[in-house]
Amino acid sequence: MIILDIKNLTLEIESNGVLVKALDKVSLTIQENEIRALVGESGSGKSLIVRAISGALPPQWIVTADRLTWRGQNLLSMTRAQRQAIMRRDIAVIFQDPLASLDPSATLKDQLVESIPQEFIPKGWPWQRRKARLRIAQQIMRKVGIKDVHAAINKYPHELSLDICQKFMIAMALVSQPTLLIADDPTRGMETNTKQQILTLLAQLNKTRNLSILFVSHDLIAISAMAHSMTVLYCGQSVESGKMKAMRRRPLHPYTKALMDSAPSFSPDLIPKSPLVAMDGTIPTLQHLPIGCRLGPRCPRAAKECVQVPEERSINEHKYRCHYPMHVESV
Amino acid sequence: MIPLLSINQLTFKPTKKWEFMVPSTDFVLGPVDLTINKGESIAIIGQNDSGKSLLAKLIVGAVTPTSGQISLNGQQLDPNNTKARASDIRMMFRQSSESLNPGISIGTMIEEPLRLNTQLSPEMRLEKVLKTLTLVGLMPDHYYFYKHMLSEGQQQRVALARALILDPQVIVADEPFAALDPSVRSQTVNLLLTLQAELGLAFIFISHNLGIVRHMSDRTIVMNEGQVVEVKDTQAMFADPEHPSSQKLINAHKALLTY
Ligand SMILES: Nc1ncnc2c1ncn2[C@@H]1O[C@H](COP(=O)(O)OP(=O)(O)OP(=O)(O)O)[C@@H](O)[C@H]1O
Ligand code: SF4
Ligand SMILES: [Mg+2]
Repeated sequence: MIILDIKNLTLEIESNGVLVKALDKVSLTIQENEIRALVGESGSGKSLIVRAISGALPPQWIVTADRLTWRGQNLLSMTRAQRQAIMRRDIAVIFQDPLASLDPSATLKDQLVESIPQEFIPKGWPWQRRKARLRIAQQIMRKVGIKDVHAAINKYPHELSLDICQKFMIAMALVSQPTLLIADDPTRGMETNTKQQILTLLAQLNKTRNLSILFVSHDLIAISAMAHSMTVLYCGQSVESGKMKAMRRRPLHPYTKALMDSAPSFSPDLIPKSPLVAMDGTIPTLQHLPIGCRLGPRCPRAAKECVQVPEERSINEHKYRCHYPMHVESV
Repeated sequence: MIPLLSINQLTFKPTKKWEFMVPSTDFVLGPVDLTINKGESIAIIGQNDSGKSLLAKLIVGAVTPTSGQISLNGQQLDPNNTKARASDIRMMFRQSSESLNPGISIGTMIEEPLRLNTQLSPEMRLEKVLKTLTLVGLMPDHYYFYKHMLSEGQQQRVALARALILDPQVIVADEPFAALDPSVRSQTVNLLLTLQAELGLAFIFISHNLGIVRHMSDRTIVMNEGQVVEVKDTQAMFADPEHPSSQKLINAHKALLTY
């Protein structure tokens, strides 16, 4: 069953005095129990999607969508209170910058205890309830791999190292036992051991607790280790989505292909220090978006038709937006 | 042949006021011995808090060592005169968001080292800044942008531009690839490989991305609790890590790959 359904999400923002479509008809769905990766270049709009789902956008930005629903309920038309209730109990978000999203003036304990839903605390005297809360808080902190919980729990965010803050953000998100976890680059800059620990924890929660995950990252190795399916974003447009395996083996969109080629670890035969396959150029600024397919100027397969925006097409579960897709014959 | 950079018995012992920045009070870095040749890439890997970033800061002179020397082209560097080495050894910091000033435009920010360290005219500076912006995969337009208008990866490229602008001999980079997206990361890797081949640039980088470490570096240094525990040619290190902490890191990387 689809729990989160996004169809043609468009986000218009004012940047340097002009109104630009930072997201242009983005579609994305998340099934129950699914781990979906959202990948794309820096500046492609991944964090904007996360913010649009959570409703954390400045009021002057214009959001439109054919569908933006949570279990069939329209997130855009419901009241603020209803939306907040969903964000508190069903969907948890780990934002990209841990320090900016933690309260600098409260200890980890205070912040975490605050996020524990009331119904998790057994009835009892206030001091019993306080103790129960503390126990839950410590438990979850241990679970995400924070080593010295007793020392860390009474500290303020700025007193702790970045990777403890990152782990703590994950603890904060998991403490309400959400149905869907949206994690924006949660393992960025983590060393391999810690990263593997976090990925294992998330994969395990997915299996044992049916946690669905939207995993935003450009760490392709981490993504292919855990995601079932993937949506690729380029320049504010969703260009391809489908099952992880199929997309790795036979990407249809030239950009997905370039993405896959860029991880040296995926090509074991690569000669050390040889140049990596890389697409020329760089993602354009929002002020100078090319017309038609936004990949056009960088795309090795581009041809005349590409000045028209490609419509979304699909082959079975596999969706793509490209006039001249690859591997189509073999799908 | 005189090595480009040679590090001799370098140590760092935190004094009291450093206490909050290091893992424990008995933390000591080094002694570290290391030589680096022109055009060579050295990767530093290790757990968090193993002293990697501190070693990087000691090499660029952002932190003064407790003892030991660093020489560039056979010339011993004065630990208290960091300005002299500023144009030859450039540091690219990890958190570009922390190291970039939000109040000035990207162009001005990249130009700053030129103003402070060279006699170039304003026109020549502008030309150099625009060239460097393109070199790191940004647009000339970005000259007029401010930090908050860039995504994280674009900010990282600004940090690389700032490091390259003075045509240094050594670049020391703390997690230069972490915030880069795949296609730009490949471009950056290619760019650094080209710059190394053309200019003989030496590159010392800290990275958790062992795929890139394996592809790019000639030698890999493994650090653990302030000590260099293993130094080897990269390919040999990945084939046969000897120290337990090297084994742990490299095996975790291989485990992720075999899913
Ligand atoms: N407050 C803002 N004002 C103007 N433009 C913005 C703002 N926030 C984001 N943008 C622009 O929107 C685009 C998408 O940004 P976003 O942060 O979603 O990228 P991202 O895909 O998350 O990148 P990264 O991988 O670096 O986190 C970028 O071009 C960025 O410059
Ligand atoms: S539509 Fe054209 S430019 Fe766009 S990805 Fe396909 S071939 Fe390339
Ligand atoms: Mg982001």
